[in-house]
Amino acid sequence: MGGAAGSSHSLTFPGPVTYQVVAERQEEEIWERKGGDKCNFCRIWSFGCRTGPQQTRPDQEPLTEAIRVQSKASGAGVSMAGGSVSECKEYLFKVLVIGELGVGKTSIIKRYVHQLFSQHYRATIGVDFALKVINWDSKTLVRLQLWDIAGQERFGNMTRVYYKEAVGAFVVFDVTRGSTFEAVSKWKHDLDSKVKLANGNPIPSVLLANKCDQKKESSNNTAQMDNFCKETGFLGWFETSAKDNINVDEAARFLVENILANDKGLPYEESNGDRIKLDQETVAAESKSGCC
Amino acid sequence: MAAEDLPSEFDVVILGTGLAESVVAAACSRVGQRVLHLDRNSYYAANWASFTFNGLLTWIQQHHEESQPEEVQDWSSLLEEGEELIYLSYSDSTSISNLQVFCFTSEEDEGEEAQSPDPPNTTEEETAANGDEDAVKAASTDSTNEDPKDKIKEVTDGEGEGQQTADSEGVEPTADLPRPSAIQGQSEASRKKISYAQLVKEGRQFNIDLVSKLMFSRGSLVDLLIKSNVSRYAEFKNVTRILTYRHGNVEQVPCSRADVFASRQLSVVEKRKLMRFLTSCLEETEEQQAYNGRPYLEFLCDQQLGDNLEHFLLHSIAMVTEDTPTEVGLASTRHFLRCLGRYGNTPFLFPVYGLGEIPQCFCRMSAVFGGVYCLRHSVRCLLVDKDNRCKAVIDSRGQRISCSHFVVDSSYVATEQKKVTTPTRFLSRAILITDASILPSNSGQQVSMVTVPPIAAGFPVVMMVELCSSTMTCLPGTYLVHLTCQSVGSAFDDLSPVVTKMFHTPETDDQETRPSVLWCLYFNMADGLDVEVEGHNLPSNVYLCSGPDGHLGHDHAIRQAQLIFQKILPEEDFCPPAPNPEDVLYDGESLLPTGGGGGDNSGWGEKGEETKENPQTEE
Repeated sequence: MGGAAGSSHSLTFPGPVTYQVVAERQEEEIWERKGGDKCNFCRIWSFGCRTGPQQTRPDQEPLTEAIRVQSKASGAGVSMAGGSVSECKEYLFKVLVIGELGVGKTSIIKRYVHQLFSQHYRATIGVDFALKVINWDSKTLVRLQLWDIAGQERFGNMTRVYYKEAVGAFVVFDVTRGSTFEAVSKWKHDLDSKVKLANGNPIPSVLLANKCDQKKESSNNTAQMDNFCKETGFLGWFETSAKDNINVDEAARFLVENILANDKGLPYEESNGDRIKLDQETVAAESKSGCC
Repeated sequence: MAAEDLPSEFDVVILGTGLAESVVAAACSRVGQRVLHLDRNSYYAANWASFTFNGLLTWIQQHHEESQPEEVQDWSSLLEEGEELIYLSYSDSTSISNLQVFCFTSEEDEGEEAQSPDPPNTTEEETAANGDEDAVKAASTDSTNEDPKDKIKEVTDGEGEGQQTADSEGVEPTADLPRPSAIQGQSEASRKKISYAQLVKEGRQFNIDLVSKLMFSRGSLVDLLIKSNVSRYAEFKNVTRILTYRHGNVEQVPCSRADVFASRQLSVVEKRKLMRFLTSCLEETEEQQAYNGRPYLEFLCDQQLGDNLEHFLLHSIAMVTEDTPTEVGLASTRHFLRCLGRYGNTPFLFPVYGLGEIPQCFCRMSAVFGGVYCLRHSVRCLLVDKDNRCKAVIDSRGQRISCSHFVVDSSYVATEQKKVTTPTRFLSRAILITDASILPSNSGQQVSMVTVPPIAAGFPVVMMVELCSSTMTCLPGTYLVHLTCQSVGSAFDDLSPVVTKMFHTPETDDQETRPSVLWCLYFNMADGLDVEVEGHNLPSNVYLCSGPDGHLGHDHAIRQAQLIFQKILPEEDFCPPAPNPEDVLYDGESLLPTGGGGGDNSGWGEKGEETKENPQTEE
């Protein structure tokens, strides 16, 4: 969205997205940011907007491309968001976060979902996905499931469980390690071969150049990166820093925007309503109270 | 993705990603064991795998190719004092045999062919069919003594020689199919055949399982999925109806109370008898005990239920044979009844995207808890110390990896090391892609379990499962039909008579009303029931997992996995529930960890993480 990013923001996000967090958190100043706010790092915004600003408002029926929203969570989520959203449409999107070992996938997720950053590296243990709930606009609630690759699937042999029904992806590399960038095409190729949208198109994906806070030279390779994205089929790319909280939010917003746009264009699939989750019965039986 | 070396020390090394191995992997990782999980294939789940149509063609191709001669390398440099080597098999050349493929649909899109001056539309199907019939004859007249591999080649070669039948040359997705004309063509004919080119083009919409099983809704697999929370990775469909093949017709078996009363095949008297019988079955009675050791059929006869009910009860509900003892038949009947109504009107569930999902669900759980995964990677040999324990393995890259336990799919173990019952028993499998349901219904999307009693003396009982496209295993407009039985002869010999009786193939040209077979595959697979976990000529800390067994349910593999886990970690809980990532909900307004113990449960707050990093509750 380049220089015009500010204005397209206001078009794209009619109801400013609010990311407010707990008051005690140190990072809060950074995070109390409205959608229309421009951060300083958006010079890279430019590329993704090939399609131009999207006028679409994602306020139609949630399509089945989104994973079926689990009923136990939905009701409570809506009411909690405060009165005005009683007719809120809910989407549940599965988004993959992939890339080489140690590029900061987990850090980005933690930063985005939990507003945390931990300096010391830890392989990801016991974690499937993190859930981020976004009040997209007054009528739209988006639940974003961010699926980390289990650190140990690092040889690239992910199970289909990981890929299936994903509707978007981040491919992450580490700007301080060239080899992780070289692996990006492999990951993208793997991604496109394993999962497609219902219409056969690749799922929207965004490239994240992470650890930009550690970048040594400030060489401007924007054009190169734009070209690379075009060639490899990324919607766009962002320089991010999970540590300094740079662009993580923006990248996520950009991806969700594209996912929602995709959602509109696709025909209805037949209902998945009669699919069975095995825990439903037990949840009901034990009246395990839903969230909140 | 990088070709980095594996760590050189693990607690448990597991070779093979079949169901039992994957459950062991998940169970061990879950309680903190360092697990390395390998598979020589490029795909997960070994003989439990499911493939896209194109993936299946590749799999067939691989099994046609001669397996590489084993190059025995000298690993003695990696030996430590007092250690000995046990070599593993390089490839699995025995578990799959007798592959035969037939394509009964036209190679190209019919819409396209209609535009060409000749042949006219009407004869086209016929010629295609004739061409195939030749292929079938060629295959079936082949002497069975010949090497099955040669037989396959003959079939495929014949097809390759410019016949209208399809073969590998169609494997390249033909992207230039004229879409509009195809659609037009579809509206012309009421039952338009889907071409081979379409099957290939839309191949990714198929998920074709090598094994055909169903999940009993109160079976050990369902219980384990729920208990461990592995269920979060999968969704399921109810099997919507139980059918049986009888007197040349496919009939629906009434198996729930509602079914019984709605049934139009049963008389009022029969309905009452059936209800009374099923109710009385639930309790063990002295009358039943008197029949212990005698055939279940005899017991049923003496209940004076009549032919209809006997057939339903024996073949479709108990799913046993005529000589099965009464106590076994009754136990199966009770199991069936117990499973009714938990999720639907039949006792069975089927995983969306196919059974091949299930091992992968357990692998994902293992990986989430630290299991290291590597496909296309095998173990060449085991290093055994003086106490006959496996201390380490040497992988396919020649790296020495130490481990305390080694779990292996039996197909990796050389025959001389295994104690198996001889002769090896096999399962016969057929996989059909058809253009209509075996019993069309108003609601269209049915998942059917079909029991086919022996069609003649000496023939096996055949279990058939028909999947519709909403199970995400086949292209909309097609059905995927799995047939399974204990082998008597080759898969083709055992199952093609059933196929010709129930479907429309070029051999049964007069039966246009039946579903047409578009494409089919026959093969035999070794029956995993014969392999025990222990008692082989192997070190004491090496455990064998069998491949898929012929039973309808999954109990065998789950029992095996549990047994192995208990041998490895007798003190530990088997697959305790994994924390639910949704137990911690964050939204734009506030952070609300609802899982007990702050962030520790969330998964994100990892064990031992500083408490200041735990999410705080803000109201």
